[in-house]
Amino acid sequence: MSAIDNYQDEEEDDIVCVNEEIETGHPRVTILHPPNERIVPPLNFCPVERYLYRSGQPSNVNFPFLLNLKLKTIIWLANEEPQDALLEFCDDHNIQLQFAAINPDGGEDDNPWDGLTEHSIRNALHTIVNSESYPLLVCCGMGRHRTGTVIGCLRRLMGWNLASVSEEYRRFTGSRGGRILVELLIEAFDITSVEIDREKAPNWLLTALS
Amino acid sequence: MKYIPPLSFAPVVGTDVDLYRSGYPMPLNYSFIKHQLHLKTVIYVGDKDILPEYKAFLEEESIKFHHIPMKSTKDPEIQKEMETVLKLVLDVNNYPILVHSNKGKHRVGVVVGIIRKLLLGWSMTGIYQEYDLFTGGQKGDIDLEYITMFNTSINVPLDRLPDFVNFKNHPNETHEKLAV
Repeated sequence: MSAIDNYQDEEEDDIVCVNEEIETGHPRVTILHPPNERIVPPLNFCPVERYLYRSGQPSNVNFPFLLNLKLKTIIWLANEEPQDALLEFCDDHNIQLQFAAINPDGGEDDNPWDGLTEHSIRNALHTIVNSESYPLLVCCGMGRHRTGTVIGCLRRLMGWNLASVSEEYRRFTGSRGGRILVELLIEAFDITSVEIDREKAPNWLLTALS
Repeated sequence: MKYIPPLSFAPVVGTDVDLYRSGYPMPLNYSFIKHQLHLKTVIYVGDKDILPEYKAFLEEESIKFHHIPMKSTKDPEIQKEMETVLKLVLDVNNYPILVHSNKGKHRVGVVVGIIRKLLLGWSMTGIYQEYDLFTGGQKGDIDLEYITMFNTSINVPLDRLPDFVNFKNHPNETHEKLAV
């Protein structure tokens, strides 16, 4: 067999090969190459804590990726509805889509450039501190400022110092950098206004609060 | 009580096991690491010396420390070094794990990129984007090329594989797992 044949044979194998050691009772796997089907994370995707994720608005190409996360809830931080495809995806897979409006009283005057209100941040945090909504994705259009605001307030709730909260927020804000108004909003947010049911709180939150 | 996570700290995997990334932990970060992460293993892929206070902290917390210095992706030993890291990551008994370099940008970015590609099946664009988040868009063409071209053949015990490793797309997965 030529070297080329050998190479092709290898290509036909998949990621897992259980080798002959299985007979000795110590099964091993050889990892050769990535899974055949590639999954595409949404824009600005990142894990935040165990089973808690952040990102920009997921589109069709991201759905197989989202399925892997086995999401139970998506918090959508905008006034306008997300794309129909995302609504359908949530419907089809029993994912609860929670709207946390930027400014629920803004009506016609509402400006998507405005930050979140204390009220909408608190709404989102109430879902986040309840492990019954997990696995959970927090997202907005680009996964930058609105998502960053909510995650920033969560970090303060977890006892992070402010410089670290800002470092994390700015990481996701792209080339134009962070907005000082968002950082002020995070700093001014009254973390004592978030009610936490210890029976339902995720473990990492309890560790942070203790 | 304020917690100060290390520079560029973030979870990489947070499902059945916890895998974290960061820059070099300083004494002001020890309280966060001790109280929040409950680490079992630290993998340091940078080439700096270990600070005596860091060594003392790790010993006091009984955290297993693996120093696998990678100079760059052009390091002649890089393949071996990367496979050593992957073998640690593929053993469920080592978790929770923190992988850190000095600033938590380039070297850790390459390690995470390879985990995303090889074990999770992420698309290359997703990997590039995540790499950029942590480097702030600083040049990393050589690193990205390295992730793209990375090939391996590592053999590890099946029963110690963490669940996050994605076998979903493998046609014989259930078959082989049941055979065990």
